[in-house]
Amino acid sequence: MFRSKAVVFVTLLLLVSLCFGLLATVSAQPVKLVVWGRDLPDDDPAHAYVKALVTGFKANNPDIDLEYVALGDPGLTDKTKVVMASGSGLPDVFQSWGGSVMGGYADAGRLLDLTAELKDLPCSPAAREAMSWKGKIYGVAPFFAIAGLFVNEDLFDAYGYAVPTTLKELEEVADAFLAKGIQPFACGARDKWPVLAFYMYLTDRYGGIETFADAQARRGRFDSEPFVKAAQHYQDWVKKGYFGDMPLSEAYGDAQQLMATGKAAMHITGSWMCAQYSDEDFTDQTIGFYAFPVLEGGKGKVTDIMGQTDIGFAATHVAADKKEAVVRFLKYTMDPEPCAAEPGRICSVPGVPSPSRLNEMASAVFGTAEVVQFWWDQDLPPMLTAPLNDAMQNFFIPDADVKSVLTEYEWLVEDHLGPAK
Amino acid sequence: MKNGTGVHVLPQTTILHRRKREKKKRDWNSIIFQAIFLLPAIAFLLVFMYYPIEETFRISLTRSVGLGDADFIGFQNYSRLFASTEFRAGFMNVLAWAFWSIVIQIPLAFFIAFSLTAYRNRLTGTLRAVYYLASVMPSAIVAMLGRFIFAPRFGVIASLAEALNWTWLGRIDFLGNPDIAFWSVFAVATWTYTGFPIVYFMANIEQIPMEIRESAQLDGATQGQYARYIVIPWVSYAIRIVAIISTVGSLKLFDLPWLITSGGPVHATTTLAIILYKQGFVNWQYGRAAAVGVVIFLLSLIFTVAQFSIQRKGGDVN
Repeated sequence: MFRSKAVVFVTLLLLVSLCFGLLATVSAQPVKLVVWGRDLPDDDPAHAYVKALVTGFKANNPDIDLEYVALGDPGLTDKTKVVMASGSGLPDVFQSWGGSVMGGYADAGRLLDLTAELKDLPCSPAAREAMSWKGKIYGVAPFFAIAGLFVNEDLFDAYGYAVPTTLKELEEVADAFLAKGIQPFACGARDKWPVLAFYMYLTDRYGGIETFADAQARRGRFDSEPFVKAAQHYQDWVKKGYFGDMPLSEAYGDAQQLMATGKAAMHITGSWMCAQYSDEDFTDQTIGFYAFPVLEGGKGKVTDIMGQTDIGFAATHVAADKKEAVVRFLKYTMDPEPCAAEPGRICSVPGVPSPSRLNEMASAVFGTAEVVQFWWDQDLPPMLTAPLNDAMQNFFIPDADVKSVLTEYEWLVEDHLGPAK
Repeated sequence: MKNGTGVHVLPQTTILHRRKREKKKRDWNSIIFQAIFLLPAIAFLLVFMYYPIEETFRISLTRSVGLGDADFIGFQNYSRLFASTEFRAGFMNVLAWAFWSIVIQIPLAFFIAFSLTAYRNRLTGTLRAVYYLASVMPSAIVAMLGRFIFAPRFGVIASLAEALNWTWLGRIDFLGNPDIAFWSVFAVATWTYTGFPIVYFMANIEQIPMEIRESAQLDGATQGQYARYIVIPWVSYAIRIVAIISTVGSLKLFDLPWLITSGGPVHATTTLAIILYKQGFVNWQYGRAAAVGVVIFLLSLIFTVAQFSIQRKGGDVN
């Protein structure tokens, strides 16, 4: 009798000890946070911010087990699309460029509303707007990019040319460089998307900042006068040879090489190139960043700026039960400590010093912006962005009917967004 | 009872009853036995072949972006596709590719295979391996080589043109000119896709009995006559198989045009498979992508059935 009671007592004691032990183990485990990003946190100078972010967050938050997964490009966007569609396998946080792509995920209920937690975070209004959708904030954008005119200042100085402030001056300087055997503009048309920076500005300069917004909201058409005139202007420059003899063979990397080696005089692209164009290992040319010139008599202003999220992060609904950890991570992405490591991008966090002269110039242009229009391929729904890029390649065919091309694109937009009112 | 020759036979009704009983017993066991062994294969086919085909047909009749519900829209995806410039360009490109594959790649492969067997020497084995090497290289490597060869300014052809002072050659925009890009990609594909037919044809040509070869020689046939009247009929079945593979492969073509030119410039090298990929994974239009998939499936079926019909009518020399 006594023995059986002793056995029961010892067994109960062991069970209670086991339970307490398990409880202690579970409560001591850190919160796991899975973050998907594009770049590896390695020693590549272009990845300096990501490396500082990951190592700094881990060091400062030992109670959070951060699992950062680098998926590359287009791995990140492809995998994100797949998991968003299936609704399973979602990370807690993912790198995002905001805009309509993020908006699609938000409409499908895949994202976590963090308006209350992030609305008072200090950052530029454009960056906050980029990571918002229908009035709700879903993430942060520590770095913001704008499109502008990169100028090879060495070439301009050598020939005594001033940086153009009007499209007429831009054409005059382009003709002058062409006569000297220097390709006026590097572009990267082979990769399709680089064409957009120039086209967005030309359309704005003809029709004003509301041109695209009106077409997108179906108050106007994508084959209306400003769009067509901008396309024809673009095509004229292609015929003149401003983009070289073989513009459709030139990839974006080739365009960078042309600028870096002084074979091209100007490059209209995003400010993310500030890091490379400031890097002495990449180029020995002195390159400056300027606002896109105005069209005399046109409606667009020099303070109309085209921009987009350069690095941003959004949270998914699977992280709802670890909101505190997610908010800590997102706030750390906006902390000056990791942001200061970035060598070239425009930081949307106040108080972070510019890492280079070129970055300072780009930040100054951003600072003058009265209106920021998001990059069209971030603002349009995904089913309309690739067709837009395909359509723009026609601008590089000398005998293409660009109006018909834009009309066909308008039909596609009508199919998805409805007809223009 | 006895029949007319004195042999004991059973009455007809008895024989029929016995056969029926025996047949009934055998059928059940046989059916169960066969079902047990066929079931896994049938299940595999249903799950991995017929169900995906049925689902593709179903999705092609909907507007689906992958997030949220799919809306039934009937044949709108098909009508939109056929009205699209990109789809028409892709459709014509795959037909052109199939045609030129048969007209250029098969005769070229046969010519090389025949030459290697007719003029056999120490290099034959090495050359066969060299020709086949191209077909086993990954598409990504082949595409990189193609881009390196055709790249303007710093590519192999551009560098050669500069060295030889052939400015006319240096000015050719192999990958950026819509009129030339198709042929540039086709040239790369010809190099990589003729390896297997060469080896296949060689294997068939080497099957020709020695007696036939010697008879042809004794009769004074030239190599050309030997090829035309003996070798080609002998390998006609192999040629038809390669033609079917080339045609169906052309309809499904994706890797090389995508990796070399991304389907550009301006749809010059786009294919139906590229359009399927872009519609599904870039544009999020899964319904339209499924419609492209259905078109590819139907075209492949039509061409395969047509070619087998022609083969049956033509007969086989063996």
